[in-house]
Amino acid sequence: MEIEIQFTNEPIAAKIPPPPSIGAHGAWLEFRGVVRGKENGQNISALEYEAYPEMAEREIRRVLESLSAKRPCLATKVIHRLGVISVGDTVIYVGVASAHRGEALELLTEFMHRLKQDVPIWKRRAFPLEDESKQARVPLAPSPSPPSGERVAARPGEEKPAVKTSLISLDEALAEIRSRCQPLPAVRIPLAEAFGRVLRETVCVREDLPPFDRSTRDGYAIRADDPAETFSIVDTLHAADWKPRQLKPGEAVRVATGAALPCENLRVVMQENVEHSRDQIRILRRESAVNISIRGEDLRAGKPLLHSGAKLDAGALALLATAGNANPFVSPRLRVCHFTTGDELVPPDQTPKPGQIRDSNSYLIRGLLHNFLCELQQAHVPENFELAKSQIGSPQSAIGNADVLLVSGGASVGERDFTRQWLEWLGFEIVFSQVNVRPGRPLIFGVNDPRVAFGLPGNPLSHFVCFYLFVAAALTKLVGEEPKTFSRGQLAAKLDDAPNPRETLWPARLDSAGLHPLAWASSGDITCLTETNALIRVPANRGSIETGEEVDFLPTTGMLTTKWQGRRAAASGRRSAPPIP
Amino acid sequence: MRVLFFAQLKDATGCDSAEIAPPSPLNAEQLWAELLKKFPKLEAYRSSVRLAKNCEYAAPETTFANADDVALVPPVSGG
Repeated sequence: MEIEIQFTNEPIAAKIPPPPSIGAHGAWLEFRGVVRGKENGQNISALEYEAYPEMAEREIRRVLESLSAKRPCLATKVIHRLGVISVGDTVIYVGVASAHRGEALELLTEFMHRLKQDVPIWKRRAFPLEDESKQARVPLAPSPSPPSGERVAARPGEEKPAVKTSLISLDEALAEIRSRCQPLPAVRIPLAEAFGRVLRETVCVREDLPPFDRSTRDGYAIRADDPAETFSIVDTLHAADWKPRQLKPGEAVRVATGAALPCENLRVVMQENVEHSRDQIRILRRESAVNISIRGEDLRAGKPLLHSGAKLDAGALALLATAGNANPFVSPRLRVCHFTTGDELVPPDQTPKPGQIRDSNSYLIRGLLHNFLCELQQAHVPENFELAKSQIGSPQSAIGNADVLLVSGGASVGERDFTRQWLEWLGFEIVFSQVNVRPGRPLIFGVNDPRVAFGLPGNPLSHFVCFYLFVAAALTKLVGEEPKTFSRGQLAAKLDDAPNPRETLWPARLDSAGLHPLAWASSGDITCLTETNALIRVPANRGSIETGEEVDFLPTTGMLTTKWQGRRAAASGRRSAPPIP
Repeated sequence: MRVLFFAQLKDATGCDSAEIAPPSPLNAEQLWAELLKKFPKLEAYRSSVRLAKNCEYAAPETTFANADDVALVPPVSGG
């Protein structure tokens, strides 16, 4: 017996071709096991499957070979899907070909029974179907984190890296953030609410598109092989009509644009090219075009339309609607908790006393998070640790069920210590606390699995740079989106700088002429932010870069999608930069 | 030898595999003793777990040597 076994993380195609032994087999039996909406009495939206593929393949083969000794069949094909599989989707496909149906039916029944006993494949997790707003995430870990610099006790079998207290590079910091952030469990929500979310399942077309042969013109459908000049009109079809019939030679059917044609092998003659009299037409001119959009011409059933990781824009929503996916499986809304510290801050509607400044960072962060569809909570904490603790009460009441914690600190060493102390009290392990970039060197990153926290240096420009470099990388990973990349672009004006031992992210304005470096005086300089839509990456010790030279840059405004970047790179013929590690 | 963990055993051990290097081949009883030393939480699963050696279920008399890939197979639930 021929045996074919596959494991896949992608959806199983809607149509699987039968084995080539046509003529020998009298039965081709197909079975699909699909994910039920209930698991252990609970309503679920998806199941996650895991396998030991090498052994599972051997076991399936062994079972099939032993079964076919008693019930001789000709061919068997088994496809098992792994990973997260939505309710209603196929988990397992089994096709059995045999001379007569009896053997195939018996073999299938017995095989499924044995599969569930011996083949090392597991349901790993069930995703409950829940109201997203009521969904509780993992509770806050109670244990305080160990003192910085000390090795953290690793779980058995797992090496946990030491806390990085020294200065680390931009690439190292990004790699650390990406490895510490994991995509949050996905949720199933109504399509109408899905704009801007990240898709977490691959969606396939359920039916051919178009679903029937349809006319692309107003005109008359006739047989493609009919050479006649005059035809009698036997019917009229509008869009939404469904009237199958075989046309005889000499017959024509009047059709509107978009109407389903009555049968195959037709052509549509445009109404401009015929002379119409009562129930007859005479063809004045024949075109070479048949003016028919063939069933499945745009998309074949089973073809993946959108892949996991796609951000749902207007076009993607329309595509999901077309595919009949009314409840896509998407990332949850991120919950972000933002604390400002700094006793010098006053709200923007107050006049600062000597020594005070207005709080701009709360509004900067609110704006920056806008593109990530976050639920944002903001609060101010006094810069006295004991006072802050007494105001907040407990770590749990401070951060609730937030996924991401942002702390805007001051720039001085004393204030940074406060942020660090504050994060540790909240249960976060500090992963690193200094990155060799300017602006934004005193950046703190901490984890309290699965939560992550950033201590952002207080200056607004540092905030801006750290957000797009580091916070955005974490948010992107948490929602399961493709990582953003540095793009390549040309300088439209000289970037004038003295060599600096740190890598620099230089604010710039990107337009059709290229990148215009903007003037900035210090990391507290906020004036250039209104013009900035890109950050140029200047290598350490590089100094000035001349007009016309190519540089790496990170687009900022509007968080341009990877799609856009890809098109742009292709259009300009330049190589695109490697993804941020 | 490499020992693989699947499904809930990953949660119990906190990892998907472990390396052990016994000086001589182990029978099932000895293998379990080694594993429980490293991962005491596995005790709760022992009665339901089947051992596999090099992608085949082990027989009661099977021995496990350093060159073998060993898998702990909890009750399966495919299809």
